[in-house]
Amino acid sequence: MINAVFHPITRLGQASLLLGEVFSNILRGRIRWKEVFKQIYDQGVQSLVIVMLVSFACGAVLAMQARVTMERFGAKEFIAQLVVLSLVRELTPVFTALVFSGKSGAGMASELGTMSVNNQIQATRTLGVDPVEFLVVPRMIACFFVLPLLVVIGELVGIFGGYVIAVWEARIPGSYYISQTINAVGYIDFFTGFSKVFFFSILIGWISCFQGFFTSGGSLGVGRFTTKAVALCYVAVIVSNTILTKIILTFWGN
Amino acid sequence: MISVAHLSKSFGGQVVLDQISFEVPSGQVLVVLGPSGTGKSVLLLQLVGLMAPDEGTITIDGVQLADLSGRDLLKFRQNIGYLFQDSALFDFMTVAENLAFPLKEHTRLKTGEIDARVEEYLKDVDMAGSGDKYPSELSGGMRKRVALARALIMDTKVLLCDEPTSGLDPIRSRDISLLIRDLSKKKNMTTIITSHDVKNSFLVADRLFVLNQGRIAAQGREEDLRRSGDPMVKEFLS
Repeated sequence: MINAVFHPITRLGQASLLLGEVFSNILRGRIRWKEVFKQIYDQGVQSLVIVMLVSFACGAVLAMQARVTMERFGAKEFIAQLVVLSLVRELTPVFTALVFSGKSGAGMASELGTMSVNNQIQATRTLGVDPVEFLVVPRMIACFFVLPLLVVIGELVGIFGGYVIAVWEARIPGSYYISQTINAVGYIDFFTGFSKVFFFSILIGWISCFQGFFTSGGSLGVGRFTTKAVALCYVAVIVSNTILTKIILTFWGN
Repeated sequence: MISVAHLSKSFGGQVVLDQISFEVPSGQVLVVLGPSGTGKSVLLLQLVGLMAPDEGTITIDGVQLADLSGRDLLKFRQNIGYLFQDSALFDFMTVAENLAFPLKEHTRLKTGEIDARVEEYLKDVDMAGSGDKYPSELSGGMRKRVALARALIMDTKVLLCDEPTSGLDPIRSRDISLLIRDLSKKKNMTTIITSHDVKNSFLVADRLFVLNQGRIAAQGREEDLRRSGDPMVKEFLS
């Protein structure tokens, strides 16, 4: 019973200390840019195709549903606005963060987890190298750059998905759809969605690296901690999105 | 020289090390014998500063480990080679990259000089020409050799080996034991090996002690241990 209460508190303390160490390394300029670029490439490649697929499907399905629904009200010409605003303000940042958690987050947790159970993290220390600086900082910085980049790509692909359906199925002229899309999105729409992505990237990097870094229990443990990392990332993204959306709409809702 | 005084460590009320004291003069090889779970690995982890003792002091070449923390401790570890039981090679690096890693981190050697040093150390452990392989392509014995080369490549004066023969067949166990002994003598290193492999321990050790229930049950050379009246020591050596 006592353990059930204290264990989560201990883990939260460990996680906070890890995050503190990461920020301390960054502030002191201990950033291994070569490793960061390698991680950016790895994480980007891992998630790019699936993000594009999900985004295209998301834009296309939105356009299909919008056509059916909006035709009832004679508002078919507003499909472009509905698609682009839904994608940019909400759907692409959240879906991309969830896909990224499942691909790159799981990748980071399992890589670090395998290193942890095989004593490679301890070996880093015995070789006189700080494992947080060597392994965690580059991964978290890479997350910070890769996720926003994936979101921008996802938004463009999603808009293209909507365009294909709108032109092919709803018979809306392509040039009209594009001009409606461009006119619909203001800076505030883009940035209210985009600003959340930076929070998501920190949360995903932090949770995945923490779970991986403190993995124990051999190969079974790697599977268990990786699954836990992905589940926690999902929860963190969904919950933080709700809170951030409320805050953003309160201040920049109009 | 390594000096350990009154070292104690407990986990959840269970005493693992109880007031252990010993010294290892420079250039000597000490083997810590004992059955599994007697605190041998805990002792080594404390010697390299990866675990703090509850009580007692550890002094290596005149430096008290308790006085070091953070970056100073990391820096000090550059003087200590540590061979893990499971080798702990970085599996995303080649053999050569594993060996080059500490050199790139802590020295200003040029690429050519690093490559030459890597090849020299691979030759020392009879692994010349295998620099391009990944650890997953090597056998257990070969991984141990590479890990030994990585532990020594900074020209360390202290070598700590955790169960170097575990998981190896008798021939490979003998080979790696003799290799550790030869390199320790050639490079005049102070070496501590933990093991439960009695036969090979006698091959490599200048001095040995047997751990039992957190205390030193017997110590000295092979003949001293054989003469011990402690029933556990007798059973362990038989």
